[in-house]
Amino acid sequence: MTKTRLTRGKLLAAAAPLAAAPLVGKFALEAEASPTGAHDHAGHAQHRSPQNHIEGSIGHAAMVGPEAPAVGGPTDLDMLLYPPPALPYSPGRVREYNLTATDVELEVAPGVFFPAWVYNGTAPGPVIRATEGDLLRVRLVNAGTHPHTIHFHGIHPTNMDGVFQIVEPGGHFTYEFEARPAGMQLYHCHSTPLKKHIHKGLHGAFIIDPKKPRPPATELVMVMNGFDTDGDGENNFYTVNGRSFYYARYPIRVKRSELVRIYLANLTEFDLINSFHLHADFFRYQPTGTGDNWEYTDTVMQCQGQRGVIEIQFTGTGLHMFHAHQSEFAELGWMGFFDVVE
Amino acid sequence: MEAGSATTPRGRLSWRLWAVVPVLLLALVVGAVVTAGSSLVDLVGSNPPPADRFDIRRVEFSAGEIRILVRNPQRDDLTIANVNVDDAIVPYTVDGRTTLGRLRSATILVPFQWVENDPITVGVTSSTGIQTVKEVPAAVETPEPSVQGFFGYALIGLLVGVLPIALGLLWLPALRQAGPVWLATFMAFTAGLLTFLGVEALTESFELQAALPSSLGGAGLVLLGVALSFLGMTALAGRLTGGSEATGVTLALLIAIGIGLHNLGEGLAIGASFALGELQLGAFLIVGFMIHNVTEGLGIATPVAKTRIGVLALGGLAVIAGAPAILGAWIGGYLSNDVLGALFFAIAAGAALQVVVEVSRYVARTAPGGLRSGHAIAGFIVGIATMYVTGVLVA
Repeated sequence: MTKTRLTRGKLLAAAAPLAAAPLVGKFALEAEASPTGAHDHAGHAQHRSPQNHIEGSIGHAAMVGPEAPAVGGPTDLDMLLYPPPALPYSPGRVREYNLTATDVELEVAPGVFFPAWVYNGTAPGPVIRATEGDLLRVRLVNAGTHPHTIHFHGIHPTNMDGVFQIVEPGGHFTYEFEARPAGMQLYHCHSTPLKKHIHKGLHGAFIIDPKKPRPPATELVMVMNGFDTDGDGENNFYTVNGRSFYYARYPIRVKRSELVRIYLANLTEFDLINSFHLHADFFRYQPTGTGDNWEYTDTVMQCQGQRGVIEIQFTGTGLHMFHAHQSEFAELGWMGFFDVVE
Repeated sequence: MEAGSATTPRGRLSWRLWAVVPVLLLALVVGAVVTAGSSLVDLVGSNPPPADRFDIRRVEFSAGEIRILVRNPQRDDLTIANVNVDDAIVPYTVDGRTTLGRLRSATILVPFQWVENDPITVGVTSSTGIQTVKEVPAAVETPEPSVQGFFGYALIGLLVGVLPIALGLLWLPALRQAGPVWLATFMAFTAGLLTFLGVEALTESFELQAALPSSLGGAGLVLLGVALSFLGMTALAGRLTGGSEATGVTLALLIAIGIGLHNLGEGLAIGASFALGELQLGAFLIVGFMIHNVTEGLGIATPVAKTRIGVLALGGLAVIAGAPAILGAWIGGYLSNDVLGALFFAIAAGAALQVVVEVSRYVARTAPGGLRSGHAIAGFIVGIATMYVTGVLVA
């Protein structure tokens, strides 16, 4: 714990000048702010239907574009949002991933730093993807200060389950198993105290593609989580993919003509459930990404560890809001927009 | 001592030089410790991280806006990184710097459609993610400085301060008829009343300083205020009487000043509590203060019972004792200085207790039977009891 304390103390001095500069003008409420932020192209503006064009709104639940307080640039989270492509089934193929656990200070909201534990530098960690039947080799290097593991959801031998294979700081371990069953899975650290290891950021999405490929689509990954920055057992910020209000600041551009597939998982600690609600349209939801049981809805609920696959063919264009339908979570950062264009 | 002829110029010089030596050595040691930095702490362990909690001093409401006054109570810098209202992240601007040095303050402006009379919670999060929360029991519009409000506070101060004291002074014709035993009893009554006010102010001062950041508060602040006013009043009494005991108009003036300083604190408390939406300032409370304070007029009138005094002078005494309530209401209503509040009450306590000494001397000298007489003791007790009982009206 000593190390964490020292880090926090040093951070304060280091962060102060960084945090101060952007804050003053951050909520300057530019009335004509572009809702799509930095990756907007002038040519697309006309495709937005007028009712979705929010002008000069100051309501926090409707913050969009530069009004939304989110960290970083427009492509920062692309590695988490856009999964690696699905590969066609090929018997005997080996898929290798390297995950390094480290202690880092994550900026989860503008100027707010959280002493996180992460796989490969982000919380959630990298998207691991394999096709059913692939042999997965995931090497965990523990460069952090606490013992860690990776516990995958799926079918695998118990000696690859990441419960007893504790990797001490400085150590490493390679998890090796066949990827199955097809579906939206997930992974997280299973060291104790479990709550601490999960909420500090050691979790991520794990997609197993079926042997018979899913229809082509624009694929997105959304891992819902929260950050308890003051350690009182309640989350101060909620996010998808690790930064509050990020997709409000940078709406996700998708095409109306294309199928959109979202791999959704809930790894929020402390709160019993989390949810995903889409505005102005409906979608199909396949729990756990398995079976033929698709629900047609605009709201799904997941407890921690639950996940599923969402498929949307947008009916109209414009800004489609999405957020947790726990209003509190939405107002604490779990809110974003799809910018649907022709 | 007689042998030490320290009056020669050389001796005097060396005395002063020697006095500087500890200061110089202290400076050297301070320099060494500062240079050593944290390595000294490392010998015994490691420092805990700073608490990173803000001191939320005041939350103000106006149409479509919430203003949060925050202060950094700790040694390390503290940065405002996020603001919540009722567990929702809200847009905000900071009037001033977002990184606050020790004891620095800033005002956070939040555009927000708050709901009148609803409880509301504001949270300010530091760059280290620590959230400081302040619960406001009911959101009500904070009075803005206005001519109307200015006169309103003045009127309230007049009603709770000047008017009851002026009414109390009207006991004077009755007192002029009273015999020495009754007068002594009333003086003892005044001493009891002032003791009550002094103790009440002292308690208030201790409570206010306890709510301050530890670097600003402390019993020392209270002691400083008490000592300043007690000794100030002592010096004033000495100057007014030319060294002898205070009697007649002089004693009445001292009592008026003591009561006036107390009423300054009382006005300040009323103004501040009302401005912060913590006080329902109804007719009942104002009437309560009037009844509570009317006996203060009696206290001022008693020493001049056998003295010639004009109506103007009496009016002056009423103003000295009562008008500070107006000033206090203005300060409390429009300024937010909690250090000042603690200090004012300490000053009130010191002044009231000093006047108790003056009055007691007077009673000891003039009362038939002195301080130990039954009527003096009874008067004192009844004075305290009267303030206690009428105090229920303003609690």
